[in-house]
Amino acid sequence: MSAASHGAACGVVLGIVVVIFLQQIAYLDLSDLVPSIEYLIVGGVVGGVLGAVIGWVLGRSYLARHAASGTTVAK
Amino acid sequence: MTPTGPNVTWNGVDVQTAGTTSSALTIDLTQAANLTYNWPASAGLTIKDVRLEMFYFGYAVTTRDVFLSPVQDHGPVALDWTPLSISYVLEGGYRLTASLIASNHTTMWSENFYVRGNAPLGILALLPIVLLVIIVYELYGLVRSGRYAMLGRTARAPAPSKPPEETPPNAPTTPPESPGGNTPPSGGSS
Repeated sequence: MSAASHGAACGVVLGIVVVIFLQQIAYLDLSDLVPSIEYLIVGGVVGGVLGAVIGWVLGRSYLARHAASGTTVAK
Repeated sequence: MTPTGPNVTWNGVDVQTAGTTSSALTIDLTQAANLTYNWPASAGLTIKDVRLEMFYFGYAVTTRDVFLSPVQDHGPVALDWTPLSISYVLEGGYRLTASLIASNHTTMWSENFYVRGNAPLGILALLPIVLLVIIVYELYGLVRSGRYAMLGRTARAPAPSKPPEETPPNAPTTPPESPGGNTPPSGGSS
């Protein structure tokens, strides 16, 4: 599993959870089904895209910082 | 001043003032809510049932009814509600609907309003805790996702081009000889 895909998975969960959490602090109204499902889908998609980008960036920076040790391990 | 139409009060506050989420009534979910349904006889409503519903994802998660016998053509009617059993889960903003229902189950009048329920111990209610734990766990997983890049690269690493040292590079491919060395010819009968 690559960093981008792992970040996307984390982001989808985060996006959905943040939407529910906003309702818990009375910032969002999830009383009706149709806008609530839309909020959850939008939260999941936005979270997934942002998570994939963040995971990709973090993966590249991690690889850049650990490239030397990775070569050593390969030997 | 006599009200011209039906109205509902929540602990003495007219619910018409809480018609939006920003103006939601702040309530303590451990305390009893005293609702008073009032409608004048001039409204011409014959009511059998007064109802309070709380909605979440389009479904009525809580319903309270007061059935009137005999039917009434005017208020007031009191409805008491104490959501203590679900208060640790219900922290947050919710839409409630107060309804006046006739004998033939027709909703004669209804009013939507919003409440913001504060659970006991505030933010330490059950569902916010679970959500916060999930958020922290997923953020930790997102920060750690860089290591998965290394794992992914290790998994996709190409096979070594050199063969293992145990195997000679150019081993003879001739078939092995039989153990006996010289095999007598077959069919040597005298």
